[in-house]
Amino acid sequence: MEYQVNKKVSILSILIIAILSTSFSTAVLAASDEPLTVYSTRKENLIKPLFDAFTNKTGIEVRYLTGKGGALIERIKLEGKRTKADMFMTVDAGNLWYAASQNLFQPVESEVLVNNIPSHLRDPEGLWTGLSVRARTIIYSTDRVNPEELSTYQDLANSKWKGRLCLRTSKKVYSKSLVASLIHHDGVENTSEVVKGWVRNLAATPHAEDNYVMSAILAGQCDVGIVNSYYFGRLQTREPNVALKLFWANQDSTGTHVNISGAGVTRYSKNPENSLKLLEFLSSIEAQKIYVGLNKEYPASQKIKADNLITLWGDFNQDKMNLSVAGKKQAESVALMQREGYK
Amino acid sequence: MNIKLNNSNFLIGLLALTVSFPIIVVCSSWLFPGTELWGHFAQNLLPDVVSSTLILLLGVGIGVSILGTVLAYLVVMVDFPGQSWLEWAIFLPMAIPAYVLAFVYLGVFDYSGYAQVWLRETTGIPGFDIRSGHWAIILTFILVFYPYVYMMARASFKRQKIQMIEAGKMLGAKPLHVFWRISVPLARPAIAAGVLVVLMETLADFGVVSLFNYSTFTTAIYSAWGDFRSIEVAAQLASLLVLVSFFLIYFEKKARGKAKYYSTDISNIKPYKATGFIGWSIFLFVFGIFMLAFAMPMLQLVIWSIEKYSEEWTQRYLGYLASTSILTISATILTVVTATILALPSRRKANSKVLQILIRFSTLGYALPGSVMAVGLLYGIQNISIVSIYFGGSSINHILFGSVALLLFAYVSRFIAIAFNSANASTEQIKPVYEQSAKLLGASRFRLIREVYLPMMAPGILAGGLLVAVDVMKELPATYLLRPFGWDTLAIRVFELSSDQFYERAAVPALIMVLIGAIIMLIFNKLDKEYF
Repeated sequence: MEYQVNKKVSILSILIIAILSTSFSTAVLAASDEPLTVYSTRKENLIKPLFDAFTNKTGIEVRYLTGKGGALIERIKLEGKRTKADMFMTVDAGNLWYAASQNLFQPVESEVLVNNIPSHLRDPEGLWTGLSVRARTIIYSTDRVNPEELSTYQDLANSKWKGRLCLRTSKKVYSKSLVASLIHHDGVENTSEVVKGWVRNLAATPHAEDNYVMSAILAGQCDVGIVNSYYFGRLQTREPNVALKLFWANQDSTGTHVNISGAGVTRYSKNPENSLKLLEFLSSIEAQKIYVGLNKEYPASQKIKADNLITLWGDFNQDKMNLSVAGKKQAESVALMQREGYK
Repeated sequence: MNIKLNNSNFLIGLLALTVSFPIIVVCSSWLFPGTELWGHFAQNLLPDVVSSTLILLLGVGIGVSILGTVLAYLVVMVDFPGQSWLEWAIFLPMAIPAYVLAFVYLGVFDYSGYAQVWLRETTGIPGFDIRSGHWAIILTFILVFYPYVYMMARASFKRQKIQMIEAGKMLGAKPLHVFWRISVPLARPAIAAGVLVVLMETLADFGVVSLFNYSTFTTAIYSAWGDFRSIEVAAQLASLLVLVSFFLIYFEKKARGKAKYYSTDISNIKPYKATGFIGWSIFLFVFGIFMLAFAMPMLQLVIWSIEKYSEEWTQRYLGYLASTSILTISATILTVVTATILALPSRRKANSKVLQILIRFSTLGYALPGSVMAVGLLYGIQNISIVSIYFGGSSINHILFGSVALLLFAYVSRFIAIAFNSANASTEQIKPVYEQSAKLLGASRFRLIREVYLPMMAPGILAGGLLVAVDVMKELPATYLLRPFGWDTLAIRVFELSSDQFYERAAVPALIMVLIGAIIMLIFNKLDKEYF
C-alpha cells in the first residue's frame, strides 16, 4: 500500500516539475529586454550564427522557433494579434508569397534594403525581402556528357536524354517554383509538353532530395539532372574532384532560374523597429558573408562577392522574373505536374 | 446505485470525447464546402494514391502479422541459443525513427547504395531502382513496424493458459500444431491490436513515403495543404483516414465473431528446448532480423557519429535531453492512465453501444498525419476562443498555444490508440464472472479493479506503455508545431539536420535516441519481471 502511495506521489511530482519548468522557462525569457522572436523554417544550424552576430552588434537578443512551413504559417495565423513572432523567415519565393497573401507580413520601407537587395528579389510592396540566392540549374556527369549537348531546361525533354535524366520529386517546393517560372515564360501548353518529355526521359522514380540526384548521376543511373547550386557546393567542398559539373541553363534566353530564402516583419510584431533593424542587418555585408559561408549560397546583396568556391562556377545570367510570380503560379504548376504524371 | 454507475459511464464518455477533440475538429472540415480541387485530385491523383495505399496496407499488414507473431512465439515458447538477449534486442528497432531507417536502407540498397554498387562490380548484374514498384517500401515498413505486433503478441503469449498448451501437447500435437491451433487463436486479439496500430501508423506516415517518393493518402493530404493551400480539403482527406481505420477495427471485430478466450492464471510456460540444428536455425533467423532491422542501421549511425561527434555535441544537448525525457515521462503516464480507464472492463460499459463506439473513435487519431492533427488541435482551440469571446469571455489561444499542457494533450490524443489497444487486448482474457463474484462478495469496484483487473491487464498495459514511451520520444510533427520556446527534443534535432541533408551529423542525436530507447526498455523489462 505504502509502495503504491509512493508511486502516486512520484508520478504527481513529475507532472508538477513538468508544469513548473514551463512557467519557469517563460518567466526567465520574459525577464530579459524585449528580445525579438523569429519563426523560421530555416533550421537552427543556418540561422543561429546570423542572430548571434546581430546580438553581438546591437545587444538585442533574438529567440527563434523553427518549424515546417505550412504548419508554422497556420500557427502565426491562429495566434493572430497575440503572436510572439516579430519576423517570419522561410525558403522559396512561393512560400514567402503565400505568407504575404495570408496577411502575415507588414510592409516595410527601408533605404537600406532597397540599396542592398535588387528589386526582383524583393516583394513589390515591401512585405518580404530575399536574403540569399540559390540557382536551380542543370548538373551533369563530366564522364558521360559533353557540355555542348546541354542548353536549356526545356531541352531536357528532348528524346536524346531518354533514360539519362534524374529529377527531384515534384513535391518539393524548388521543383514547383522552377516549373512556375517555365509557365510564366512559355505558357501552360508548352510547359506541359516539356514536363511530359522530362517524365518520358526519367531513368528512375524522381528522387526525394537533390543529393540523391547527384549520387544517382555519379553511380551511373543517369547522366543529367537539375539541382540547387548549394547542394553541389557542399558536395564539392567534401570532394573537390567529384565528376560532376554545373551547367548554367537558359543563358541565351530567360536566364537561369534562381530562388531565394527570405524574411518579412510580421503584421502584429510588437517591435517593428527592431525587427526592421534585424532585417536590414541580414541584408548587410557582414550578415551576407555569413549566409554565403554557411551554406554555399549566393548573396542576395549586390555589394559582395560570392564564396571562392562558387565563383569558380563562373558568372551567369539570372532569370529576372520577379519571384512573387513563382508564388502566384505555384498551384498551377503543381496541377500541371500532377496531370503529366511527374511524381 | 443506478445513477452512480451511469455516472461512471458518463465520465468515461466525457474522457473519450475529450481525447477525440482533434479528430472531431478534423472531421468537422466537411462543414466547409469542397472546392474544385476535389475534381483535379479525383482525376489525376486519387486513382494512383488509393491503389498504392491499399497495396501498401495489405503487404505491410500481412508482413508484420507473420513476422511479429513468429518472433514473439519463438522468444516466449522456445528456448533457443541467444533467446534471452534477443527477446529484448529485436524490440530495439522501435527506437530508431522510421525515416532514419528508410534513409539508411536507401543508402545501402538503392542504385547508388553500397550493396548495389558492390553487386554490379562483382557480378555485372545491371542496377535497378528499388523505389519503383511496391516491394522495397513494403519490406522497409515491415522491418520498421513489426515490433508493435511483436510486443503485443509477446505479452499475450506470456499469459496463455498453460493447461491448454499442456493439454495440446499431451494429445500429441506437434509444436507447429500447438502454435497454429492453440497459441495463435488465443493471442489473436493481441496480434490484431498490434497490426491495427501498424496499419494506422502506415497510413499516417509521411517520412518513409517521402524518401521513397511513394504515393499514399498522405501525399494527397500534403498536396492539398502544401501545394493548393487548402487546409479544408487536407482535413477532409485526412478524415477519410479516420474512416478507413474505423472500418479496419470493425472488420477485425467482425472477423473474430463472438469467439472469446479467457485466461485465469498467470503462469510460466515451460518453453520447448531447441538445441542443435533446429535451435541454431531459429537463432540465425531471429538474429538475421536483428541484424537487418537494427544492427546494420546502427553500424551506419555509429560510423557517422564517430565522424561528427565533436562537431555536433554541445551544451545544447542537455536541453534536448531534458525536454525529451520530461515530455516522454509525463506523456506516457498520462496516456497509459487514460487508456487504462477507457479499457477497464465493466458490464455496464459493455452494454452501452454508444460508449463502445465513442471509445473506439477516440483512438483513431493515430491514423491522422501528425501535423494535420496538431493543426486541427490549434483550430479547435481557436473555435473555442471564438465561442468564448462571443459570450463575453476571453480568448484562450495565448494560454494554450505553445504550452506544455497542449503538447501533452496532443500526445495523449495521438498515442492513446497504442496504449488502449494493448490494454484492451489484455482484458479480453478476463472472465466476466469476476465482476459478478466480486459483487456477490460485497467487494467494491475499486477493489475489483485494483486486485483483479489491473494485475491481469498489467502485461498489456506495460507493453502499451513501452510502445507509447518510445513513440513519444520519436514524435516529430506535433512536437515541432506545438512545442514551447526552448523545448527542442532529440527528434527535432534529428529532423532538422537530416532535412537539410546533414545525415552524418543527424546520426548523433539519433544514436542518443536509441540509447534512451534502450533505457526505457530496461525499465519496462524490470517492471515486466515483477509481474511474471
